[in-house]
Amino acid sequence: MAVSGARVWDAAYLDGRTPRRRPARIMIGGEGLEISLTEDGGSLRWPLREIRQTQGFYPGEQVRLERGTMGEALLIADVAFLTALRAAVPEAARGFHDPARRRWQASVAVGAVLAALVVSLALYFWGIPALAGVAADHVPVSWEVALGESAVARLAPPSRRCLDPPRQRRIDEIVTVLLRTLPERRYPFQVAIVDHPMVNAFATPGGFIVIFRGLLDRTENAEELAGVLAHEIQHVLHRHATRAILRHASTGVLLAALLGDVSGVVAFGAETARALGDLRHSREAEHEADRDGMLMLHAARIDPQGMLAFFQAMQRTEGTSGTAVRYLSTHPPAGDRLQALATLAAQGSHPTIKLLPTYDWTDIRQLCASHHR
Amino acid sequence: MAEPCPRCGTTVPGERCPQCGLVIALYHASLEKMRRGPSAAVGIVAPVSRAPEPPPPSGPAGFRPPAPAGATPIPAMIRRLQFHGSPGSLFGIQAINVLLTLLTLGVYYFWGKARIRSYLLGQSELERDRFAYHGTGRELFVGFLKGLVVFGVPFLVLSVLPAVYGAPDPVTKSLSRLLWLLGLLLVPVAMVGSRRYRLSRTSWRGIRFSFRGSMREFVGLFVVGSVLTSLTLGIYYPVFVTKQQAFMISHSYFGSRKFDFDGRGRSLIGAFLGMIVLFLPTVGLSWFWFSARRHRFFTEHTRFGTTRFRSTVGGARLAWLQISNIVAIVLTLGLAWPWTVVRSQHFYFRYVTLEGPLDVSDVQQDARPASATGEGLAGLLDADFGVS
Repeated sequence: MAVSGARVWDAAYLDGRTPRRRPARIMIGGEGLEISLTEDGGSLRWPLREIRQTQGFYPGEQVRLERGTMGEALLIADVAFLTALRAAVPEAARGFHDPARRRWQASVAVGAVLAALVVSLALYFWGIPALAGVAADHVPVSWEVALGESAVARLAPPSRRCLDPPRQRRIDEIVTVLLRTLPERRYPFQVAIVDHPMVNAFATPGGFIVIFRGLLDRTENAEELAGVLAHEIQHVLHRHATRAILRHASTGVLLAALLGDVSGVVAFGAETARALGDLRHSREAEHEADRDGMLMLHAARIDPQGMLAFFQAMQRTEGTSGTAVRYLSTHPPAGDRLQALATLAAQGSHPTIKLLPTYDWTDIRQLCASHHR
Repeated sequence: MAEPCPRCGTTVPGERCPQCGLVIALYHASLEKMRRGPSAAVGIVAPVSRAPEPPPPSGPAGFRPPAPAGATPIPAMIRRLQFHGSPGSLFGIQAINVLLTLLTLGVYYFWGKARIRSYLLGQSELERDRFAYHGTGRELFVGFLKGLVVFGVPFLVLSVLPAVYGAPDPVTKSLSRLLWLLGLLLVPVAMVGSRRYRLSRTSWRGIRFSFRGSMREFVGLFVVGSVLTSLTLGIYYPVFVTKQQAFMISHSYFGSRKFDFDGRGRSLIGAFLGMIVLFLPTVGLSWFWFSARRHRFFTEHTRFGTTRFRSTVGGARLAWLQISNIVAIVLTLGLAWPWTVVRSQHFYFRYVTLEGPLDVSDVQQDARPASATGEGLAGLLDADFGVS
């Protein structure tokens, strides 16, 4: 034992040139660590501010102190060394681990888990939708159009579209009537009819509206189709699809942060949860498109009973027939949704005009009759 | 009465080692039993061989003197790596990592990764000395950004632009095929880059590891191997993976001394074909059997100076480890991840041994610089090429 109270610590010294472990003794001095090499003789002084601690943070782990960049290191088995260092040189001890903090490690970990849970829930329910909304508002229309074009090229390739310019013109007329109610035209709206029996319709970012033959066949008059078109136009104007894409991407980043490099099986489960989350948002989007679509019909003086009647007919058929009718199931069905639509429909006060008064709707909806694959 | 524990070297104050729970008297008694005859020794073999006699810091000397003539030889020159990590500590690190990653919108991820690696290496011990990891989160972050700029952006531009500008179909299709091929080239680049980086940041007894294989050579090997594997309908695969392993091992250094690999891939072809034949009848379990065989083969053909590596990993055990790990992770929604990591580490350290004299006295420090760009690329490709 050395001078009054100064304890000597057993250590091993690595010189960073050879893998030799040399026994050493350390004393904590005012200027730094005084190191004496017990086997070879010789001594070193390490100023405290040049020393980094790189190991010795966990129970059972030796304390490792490094100096310089190339491997010079001191290994001290007794973790009490750190406590003694703090006591001897409190002002220099900030860069070193405090073993007294270990007893809090478990509670810190539990706290971190809970905090991570709260943060991720907040991000999921509030942060990401808000962020996606703000970001979607700043996406240039031209990007949306490009995105929509590539989506339509895949989902409704030209070879499967029904080409019948005279009848198509009538449908475009309905779109024009609807668009006239808008203060500005930001999107080049375009309607494509696809030769497929599915009863469905969708809109892509950038103003492409795809109507399947099955849906067109079920419309009784131009007003019913106008209802569907108004609904889809509202999806485009509200940028619902763009938002969904952004939300989907950021949820992916959130999941990656949470799960890290965890295996694919968990990732699959997480993907399912994500899809369910998307569904929740899509329900809100449908409600918005219903409401503003109906307002659009009012503004265009189109009889809102057409939209209502069509949606009611869809609900009836979806209850009975199975596969092909998908319009309300991707556009979620619910009695209260129709209820809300009926209330909105009743609010129209203007007299309505008749759409395409000089044409026979049963003829127009034969648009795909001449299409042969 | 204080004597070092014969299994782990900790000073034992009483009869029982506080570190590994070994009862000294019992240990010596069973050792004695073993010397007398092999029949009584069956259950004891494992703990004995698991107990490397810690030699003094320098030189190859200091092993247990060979057993008296006529007795069963005790494998005295067998060493094992030891892993001291606990699932609890790892869980604590991971919990804080996840929280900070969320709060920093992902940026902390790289620092977290460095902390995990530092923990896992720092808890691994050979000959009473722990490994050390010297990589930093900052390096990983910069490496990721560089990888993104150098490889990711051109990739994204080439794959998105044709669609945006409505290029004709044949152009888009041939471009995407070209990109796919380029992506294939990036895999070997990432493998070498990542190994170079990780070894350069790993040390033992203050001496850095390094990887000195040429990137170009490995890319060539990889391309030729991929082509031959597809031309031979996969039969070439064992030769291909062995060539990769040989390249990775024989260009790895500890300080100034090289590792060697002397395995020939054709020795694995039989096992590989057997695995394929049995794949369907065993519902895929034969893969684990082949995987264990490959692990043993790779390990046993690795040398470091006079030291040989050996592995006794079995297919059934490996299958149990990996399947139960996946089940545990799924059932706990990922919370069991630290436990599976610690468990796997223990598993491999239990079955892998170093045999023959380990003399490192003439090894000199000989570190090589390495950037983290390849590592960043590996991250972008979502691949974790482990360093073994």
